[in-house]
Amino acid sequence: MSRLLVVDDEANIRLLYAEELKDEGYEVVTAASSAEAAEKLQGTTFDLAVLDIKLKNESGIDLLQKLVKERHDMPVILCSAFSCYKDDFSAWLADGYIVKSGDLTELKQEIARLLAKKAQKVKAEV
Amino acid sequence: MDRECCWNRDVIELADCPEMGPGEEDLLVSKRQRNLEKCCECHKFLTDLKQLRGDANPLAPVLASFLGEFRRQKNQIQSLVSFLDNKTLEIRFLHELGSVLQSSVDLDEVLSVALTAITAGKGFGMNRAFLLLTDRSAGLLRGHLGIGPRNLEEAGQVWNEIAQNDMDLKSLAQNFRLNKLSSERAKFHDLLEQLTVPLANKKHILIKALDGKRPIMVEGAFQHPDVPPELARLLGVDTFLLMPLISRNRRVGMIIADNFITHRTITEEDMRSIESFGFPVAFAIERASLYDKLQVELDRVTAAGKKLKEQQELIVRMESMALVGRITSSVAHSVRNPLMIIGGFARSMLKNSPESDPKRTFIESIVAETRQLEGVLDEILNYSDSLYPTKDFWDVSQLVETALRDTADNLTSLGYATSYSPGDDLPPVYIDFKQLSYCLRTVLQNDIAGIGVDLSIAIWSQRCEDGVILRIEDHSRHITQAELDHLLVPFSETRDLGAGLGLALCKTMLEKQGIPFIVQAGENDGIRYTITLPTRKEEQT
Repeated sequence: MSRLLVVDDEANIRLLYAEELKDEGYEVVTAASSAEAAEKLQGTTFDLAVLDIKLKNESGIDLLQKLVKERHDMPVILCSAFSCYKDDFSAWLADGYIVKSGDLTELKQEIARLLAKKAQKVKAEV
Repeated sequence: MDRECCWNRDVIELADCPEMGPGEEDLLVSKRQRNLEKCCECHKFLTDLKQLRGDANPLAPVLASFLGEFRRQKNQIQSLVSFLDNKTLEIRFLHELGSVLQSSVDLDEVLSVALTAITAGKGFGMNRAFLLLTDRSAGLLRGHLGIGPRNLEEAGQVWNEIAQNDMDLKSLAQNFRLNKLSSERAKFHDLLEQLTVPLANKKHILIKALDGKRPIMVEGAFQHPDVPPELARLLGVDTFLLMPLISRNRRVGMIIADNFITHRTITEEDMRSIESFGFPVAFAIERASLYDKLQVELDRVTAAGKKLKEQQELIVRMESMALVGRITSSVAHSVRNPLMIIGGFARSMLKNSPESDPKRTFIESIVAETRQLEGVLDEILNYSDSLYPTKDFWDVSQLVETALRDTADNLTSLGYATSYSPGDDLPPVYIDFKQLSYCLRTVLQNDIAGIGVDLSIAIWSQRCEDGVILRIEDHSRHITQAELDHLLVPFSETRDLGAGLGLALCKTMLEKQGIPFIVQAGENDGIRYTITLPTRKEEQT
């Protein structure tokens, strides 16, 4: 079972993602801030992370840069209400970019795509 | 001794003195005055003086000597008076000329006055004059204006006309400027064209006069070693005067004057008079030229001021647009999260509720309404983004193919067939790619009601004078032009006709980029979109 990390400062969004993604068969760990995410990442392996770009007083892009540096094999999906971040060069570090929507189909498809890609890469390396 | 002359009579009759005429009756009773004015010129008096000498009167030779000296001095005084009269006239003329020149800053008026003064009988009375002006930037002394008759017949007409209308210098110059300036320019155009000499040609007589800053009287022009034969042939006279126009040590230009018709000798006196007239003329020409330049600069500054004002207004408008954009964006983002949560949980509940659940319809309504609201939200965010287009040069075919690729799944699922026919040699277009992609996607996916039988969308691109024309013909959707026009108004009530903001937003986005967006519809013909994409960067205003 793939383990996903969801970082979003909105409790209801964390709950929604957790419920929906669990239904899809993933193990979901949530965090409300960068600090909490760092704590959860400590000593645990995650297959993929879903990050909100705007986290109260901090930027999800800073966390993205940290994850790319420290967990370069873990795909990251940026999830935001701001479509304009698609044009931000820093956001291009992410493996996927989703504009938030009540319809989670696109998010789920992107997670599945990136996990399959990762699995393929691992298989090729073996 | 009988006297022939009446010199010793106190009172005489008019018939007694052959030198007297009507109007001089006061001299009849004034012997002293008559002796001084008339007797010394009278042959009768000289006869009496001869008789006196014959009589061996010792005073006779002394008187004859006195008479000779008296007559010589009288002639000298008369000639001085005549000279002074001429000088007075000249000073009056120069005064009038100075007044006219001082009151004018119009170059044509100054030139008209200058050339009229040289050629008018009341002025210097030359037959013909040409004015050449220094063009410092081109390094040329260039023929500018000519005045005077070209032949005897024309001279007769002009001088007759002047004689009939007793006009002062100002009126003459005004008359010339209003009625003759253009025709004189045209008349001497060919001659003036050839009267152009490089300032660097120091050997040329015109440049020599200009550099020497002194007038030159050219005599024997056809054989003159310093006069180029073509200049002598061009003027067609043997004698002419070159008068350089110098103002504050600067070479303003040159006047060439001659007596082409009358061949009257140009005297040293003429030359000196014209020389004294040259200084105010040169100064006036330079002042008028500077005024012209000043006027050009003033126009430029005025235009710059106007542009600056427009820029300021634009900045204010942009600032308010930026504020509107920020507010719109902030509100839209604040709405998105709750909307997503409501829509997300509604979908989740719907997924987990049995088909028989009577509340399922309510949840479906929540899902549909949130989807609709999310669509509106996207459009509002796109609208605020549209306030700041980021333009660059892009390939039209890449734009169209990207939009077709992005919408392929959706259109294929609805059974649509799409085609694209790119034109030949399409230049890159200057657009905001992101906004144009959105517009094309919107046009392709427009959910206007009334889908017809022919589910096809055809796109053409074609080069035109102003850029590249993109035509999209959608035969599947039928709508009246009135309904379509309504759809092109932002935030209008469009629920019955489709999502609403899409086409209006496209129109706004394209208009902000200065791109014409024409949408035509016929109830049975489908919809035709025409977008003319620019190929050049517009001027930054």
